[in-house]
Amino acid sequence: MRSKKLSETIIRNFKSNGFVLSEPDVLLDSDYIIERSGEKFRSSMLTFNSEDGKTMCLRPDLTVASCISFLQKKSSSKIYYCGQAYRRTGNKRKNFINDQLGIEILGSKNQIQDDFKIITTILSSVKKINKKKIQIKIGDISLFKSLIDALDMPERWKLRLVRHFWRPRYFEELLERLEKNTDIDAVTFDADKKRFYEMKKINQEKVVAGRSISEILKRFDKKIKDPRSFVDGKKIVKIIKSFLKINCKLSELDKKLLDFAKKNNLKKNIFKDFKSIFNLKKVNQDINFVTNFGRDVEYYTGIVFEVFSGTKEIARGGRYDGLLKSLGAKKNTPAVGAAINLKNI
Amino acid sequence: MKDLITIGLPSKGRLKDKAISFFNYKGHKVLQSEKERNYFGTIENEPNIKIIFLHAKEIIQRLGDGTLDIGISGLDLLKESDKNLQNKINVQKRLDFGNANLVIAVPDDWIDVQTIADLEEISFDIRSKRNSRLRVATKYPNLTNDFLISKGVTQYKLISSLGATETYPFIGSSEIIADITSTGKTLSDNNLRVLKDGVILNSTACLLCAKKKTKKLKIFKFFNK
Repeated sequence: MRSKKLSETIIRNFKSNGFVLSEPDVLLDSDYIIERSGEKFRSSMLTFNSEDGKTMCLRPDLTVASCISFLQKKSSSKIYYCGQAYRRTGNKRKNFINDQLGIEILGSKNQIQDDFKIITTILSSVKKINKKKIQIKIGDISLFKSLIDALDMPERWKLRLVRHFWRPRYFEELLERLEKNTDIDAVTFDADKKRFYEMKKINQEKVVAGRSISEILKRFDKKIKDPRSFVDGKKIVKIIKSFLKINCKLSELDKKLLDFAKKNNLKKNIFKDFKSIFNLKKVNQDINFVTNFGRDVEYYTGIVFEVFSGTKEIARGGRYDGLLKSLGAKKNTPAVGAAINLKNI
Repeated sequence: MKDLITIGLPSKGRLKDKAISFFNYKGHKVLQSEKERNYFGTIENEPNIKIIFLHAKEIIQRLGDGTLDIGISGLDLLKESDKNLQNKINVQKRLDFGNANLVIAVPDDWIDVQTIADLEEISFDIRSKRNSRLRVATKYPNLTNDFLISKGVTQYKLISSLGATETYPFIGSSEIIADITSTGKTLSDNNLRVLKDGVILNSTACLLCAKKKTKKLKIFKFFNK
């Protein structure tokens, strides 16, 4: 019962900060989610077939479910949720039910203001339930993108590193290939070049397994002109690795980043887009900035944070500007949110 | 009949013939019923052994539920099965027949796609241009899923297939496939090509045994390798 009382206190605080209850559907169309979020979601979802042939699932996550509900115009943009989400974890001891309690600003128009609002609301909530020794750890996924943009390397490698930043293990594998220049792609294309000229003569509109001949040839051509192998891999990997070691007090971040840029002969202004982070200096708390952080959730795109009480993580959240678009929003719809970890309070 | 041992062997084709020769060669002569379509058999001079001829997939299921003590089936089918089921079965020995690879294959004309890394790029292209996913048709959803995700391909959707998977890319049902091949002939005859690093699994026939029943197997000397 104690935890119920705590949730009530937190919810009261959410409300007084202007967040409105969202009650997303419990049953969702699972094909809709897989179509948009990819196959890796499937194994964690609890699904069944409905009589009209649709595959349905229990909502696997309240952020995703709230986004869908927002897109169906069933909720306002500044919401809180409190309820159960259902998914498999692969861990025998855990059951399928996750209690989730959190806030989101969907369609966030003012990044700096909204990031600040989410973090301060979470902080005031954990203070209301008398949590002591509060510490915050933050990172910003977009900083990594800025770094990669500034480095001199083939475009296709850049895209690849950014795409896989949130999968640390595979990312390490990529770095190794980049460092040693052992990407399997470095083979010659002699045989295929002959085929290339043959294919140039046939109808370019012809479609093979969903791709037109012109699309295939265009990419083939691009691939030859932009090889993935190049000599500077070792140097680049060194820069990336040293970037991922940055871990300092927020107040020292300016200087750290400047030093980093200077040491690696990068322009000083490559990290210009982190006003939102600096704005957090206004929060009267110890904040640590860690570049190698927030990499376990694919959908984060900007600021990410975790709040600790002692050594226990009691809340986490971040900015996810791409999720609503990938769930079917017609235009870019930025968003930011956070959830309380009920098990640890 | 506490000591009765039940062996499951494939009921059809080359796999059946090879499995029978394997036991014969090891000195356990397999006797089949005189009725051509009967599913039961025995081993000469070993009254405690019963043989059942079953579909290769069925053999794995029945090893899992304890109906069979020993079986011969494909490693691909074992690895594709449920984790819980796999935990109940030991691979005693890989055999020298039934060789086949589970592979990722793309249309021959996709000359720009040679490796899994290419596939990853294409899948992101399809995703960002059409907001849809690269569709992969297969009879092996579990193995395919694990493989693609481990290689960094995430933007795809599995289409489950029951057979003739090679046709899927050309009838609009999927873009690429993951399928089992031994010589590669079916693939190339259907204008498909295996990616350079697209081998998901090297499969062979295997001698399998239900974990709970390992004690019973002492009478077969070859189980001790």
